[in-house]
Amino acid sequence: MNKEVKRMARVLTVMCLLFVSLIVYLSHFQIFKAQEIKDNSFNKRLWIDEENILRGMILDRNGKTLAYSERTEDSTIRHYNYGNLYSHIIGYSYREYGKSGLELTYNNELLNLKDSTTFKEIKKIIDPDGEGNNLKLTLDHELQEIANNSLQGKKGSIVAMNPKNGEIYAMVSQPDFNANELRKNWQDIMENTDSPFLNRATNGLYAPGSVFKVITAVAGLESPNVNKSYDCKGSITVEGYTLKDYGGKAHGKLGIEDALVKSCNSYFAQLGLGVGKEKLGNVSEKFMMNKDIPFDLPVKSSKFDYGEKIGKTDIAASSIGQGKTLVTPLNMAMVTSAIANEGNMVKPILVKEIRSPKGNLLEVKDTETISQVTDPLIANQVKNMMVEVVRRGTGANANIQNIKVAGKTGTAENPTGKTHSWFIGFAPADDPKVAVSVVLESDGTTGGSGAAPIARQIMIEALNRIKE
Amino acid sequence: MFNILSVAFKYVFILIIYLFMLSIIRLIYLDIKGMGLTTLNKNTYLKLVNQKDTLPFKVKEVYPIDKDMAIGRGNQNNIIIKDPHISKRHLKLVKDEGNYYLEDLDSSNGTFVNGDKIMDVVKLRNGDRIRLGQVEFLFVNRK
Amino acid sequence: MFKKLISYRVPRNLLVLIDLMALLLLFVYSNGEIDKFTLITGVVLIFIIYISNFILLKISSGDHYIFLIVTMLLKLGIIMIYRLDPKLGAKQVVWVSAGILIFFISYAIVKKIKIWNKLTLFYGLGSIFLFMFTLVFGKTIGGARNWIKFGRFSFQPSEIIKIAFIFFIASFYTNEKKFNKNGKSGYRLLIFAYIFIGFLFLQKDLGSALLFYLIFLVIQYVYEKDRKLILYNILLATTGAIVSYFLFDHVKIRVETWLDPWRFIDNKGYQITQSLFAIANGGFFGTGIGLGHPDFIPEVHTDFIFPAICEEMGIFTGIAIMMLFLILVYRGFKIAFSQSDKFFRIVAFGISAMFGFQTFIIFGGVIKMIPLTGITVPFISYGGSSMISSFIALGILQVASEELAMEEVEKNE
Repeated sequence: MNKEVKRMARVLTVMCLLFVSLIVYLSHFQIFKAQEIKDNSFNKRLWIDEENILRGMILDRNGKTLAYSERTEDSTIRHYNYGNLYSHIIGYSYREYGKSGLELTYNNELLNLKDSTTFKEIKKIIDPDGEGNNLKLTLDHELQEIANNSLQGKKGSIVAMNPKNGEIYAMVSQPDFNANELRKNWQDIMENTDSPFLNRATNGLYAPGSVFKVITAVAGLESPNVNKSYDCKGSITVEGYTLKDYGGKAHGKLGIEDALVKSCNSYFAQLGLGVGKEKLGNVSEKFMMNKDIPFDLPVKSSKFDYGEKIGKTDIAASSIGQGKTLVTPLNMAMVTSAIANEGNMVKPILVKEIRSPKGNLLEVKDTETISQVTDPLIANQVKNMMVEVVRRGTGANANIQNIKVAGKTGTAENPTGKTHSWFIGFAPADDPKVAVSVVLESDGTTGGSGAAPIARQIMIEALNRIKE
Repeated sequence: MFNILSVAFKYVFILIIYLFMLSIIRLIYLDIKGMGLTTLNKNTYLKLVNQKDTLPFKVKEVYPIDKDMAIGRGNQNNIIIKDPHISKRHLKLVKDEGNYYLEDLDSSNGTFVNGDKIMDVVKLRNGDRIRLGQVEFLFVNRK
Repeated sequence: MFKKLISYRVPRNLLVLIDLMALLLLFVYSNGEIDKFTLITGVVLIFIIYISNFILLKISSGDHYIFLIVTMLLKLGIIMIYRLDPKLGAKQVVWVSAGILIFFISYAIVKKIKIWNKLTLFYGLGSIFLFMFTLVFGKTIGGARNWIKFGRFSFQPSEIIKIAFIFFIASFYTNEKKFNKNGKSGYRLLIFAYIFIGFLFLQKDLGSALLFYLIFLVIQYVYEKDRKLILYNILLATTGAIVSYFLFDHVKIRVETWLDPWRFIDNKGYQITQSLFAIANGGFFGTGIGLGHPDFIPEVHTDFIFPAICEEMGIFTGIAIMMLFLILVYRGFKIAFSQSDKFFRIVAFGISAMFGFQTFIIFGGVIKMIPLTGITVPFISYGGSSMISSFIALGILQVASEELAMEEVEKNE
């Protein structure tokens, strides 16, 4: 009998332990894991809550409505007024496909869900049909439309921004998609080999070609001991690998300004080698390459490899924006802006203000410096060189009457066989108001003939329209 | 209205459920305390049938019987129960040759075994129910 | 009056208070236009439960706590099921009433008949017959072939076999001397038990198979004189489990979805992830009854009632339910400790272990602590078979909690 009771007591102890472990596990789950699980996009409850809230409006810098929501009998419907135009910026919000763009980044603001859980709960009880906040963007709708039209039928991207405060005026990526008709077109878009869902401005990685020479030039000017004059023979051979100039043309003896004006490959390859990969790498990283760029949309990091395996050939290629070097159009717009802004790189912004449904200002985005790329002196030197590029060099097609434009063209070779056509620049050079970065993907044209005229038009329109 | 009520009630629900649990644990605690560990080994005892918390006076769950015992309200008894319906000296349990006998000591309200009122002395068997005043005991005699 | 109503000294009144609040909530929900039938059933049920607790005090000298605890569990179950689907809720009320009636009937029958410990073969062969019957005529519901249909009613034989299984083992160990002629009787029991478990496995009812095994293991642990057998039993089961993991897809799926359900979120991991969403959304205090979305969980009325309760009444209620079950199990063990009749001692022990393991298996499963195997929560889940068999078990436990008549005790010692 005694043994029996003892064994039963042991079984009871095990039973107690089992139940205690249940309770401990459940508490642990609730305290440490529940939040993450709750936010899983497969949790249908998230949508139920959201569908009762009227999602906030999205407006351009002049107050034009770009997206809004409407209440129907049992739910709410999201409308995108300009179907394709903002497909990569505003993105979409669908129950079945999830969210993208600003709809994703500013989801909580658009739904006004910022409060703590308890408060939210109380609010839900008192007013289950809430209204979200409105976003005012930095974009100019007209400029966006012009930029978009200038890319019609092409692949590529345009970014236009204010170099001093980082406000993005226009940001286009082609091809795009219609955010209103995702349900109809989802399958086609997914299967399209041109990846319409890809926001090329922030996530497209392109060989920069000669536009990268701006960065090489900064590195060169920061190294006073490196020889700045060179005799161009039309090509340069580094460790048995030959880099040619455009059309194999020999530029003769030239200094750094003329080299940039003529976009001399041999010169910059030589300059890059003189500067060395460490220095070139450090300067590139000041221009936010290899770094995460803080932005309202997800941005891919541009790549500049200067690790141990990188030899002289690679450095020579990288110095002229070829080889393993890859950049995003947004990053290049920021590079130009930094030169325009005396070496001061500011954080790009898309959302200017957040306002409550009643119009109260909730949040204003301030200008933030993210990197001092070089000292103002060198920035101004490079700026003047870029002015010459447009005045008498490869960027002549970007010239605007009565306005001093600074710029740099690029014609980047890439594995598709057809060159990317690049232009980066800003205007007016003496008091920069707008900086642009244009890339035409696999367009086959040179930067001067393909991208520069487009950039010119954008700069003219921006200067005419945007008066702070 | 429903929403507000439902949210308010969820806290009350949880409170009541825990109160309930507490009360059960309390009852079980009283139960174990009243039993005493020693009595488990005794073969002969009186076990309370009433639910203990319904009685307004102190009474143990189990009373072991190992000798002649007197039960009543008075302090001189072996088992003292302060029930106003129980007489000062109410009854006596007597052991004789291994058997137990119950003797009513002229109590005012009487003693009942299995519902029958006891006139003088009766032999107790295992499982008999003894009622005096408001209290009912089960007589257990394992050999 | 009010003070007495909420006093924790009288738990019965607390139960009534919960009922009244639930009814009030329902009343407000339906804007005062609550239909008469619902109101009447509600009130009648409160009355039945209150009276049952009262009657039990009068007729049984045994334990008075187990029924009280079960009452609380019943109420939580009915509230939740009614909230999920009023029609099922009304049916559940009927099942609960029937269950309480069955409780008293089984209490009376088990107490009256004195030969329970002599029917070893009857339990064993009867169960095997039922198993065969299910295999041949059974219907597959929810992936397991363990239902039998009689006209409009369907029931799960394994629920009844569970009790027969406990009776079988109990009577075996009670009459061990009689069976144990060559000292090898333990092996025979082992084989019998594995036949039971094998049948459940064939029906793909893994939860019940596990439950049967655990019940058998603990009773064997307490009563088997040949201690080596216990070790063999554990080794055998472990090997069996590992082999079946590689042989049978339905075993493998359980383990895979336990290790990482998120990978299979839109197919085989759907149930468990929905359950986790519900619990996570409820938080500590829950969303409030009617304000959550437990209806997203598949099979929410039966196996997944626990996450539903957690979502709307909070994991504090969830933990309370676990503790109530633990108290119930504790009372069951205590009943076993103090019962002098060996047969009923083993039965009480087995039934308490059954309640304990069954709740552990399903609660652990739905919170992803152990692999999920479908099994009902006693007294809370919707369903007739489960309700009735749980009440039969409770009735037997009630009998076992009493001092049983002398003659039998003498015979056994």
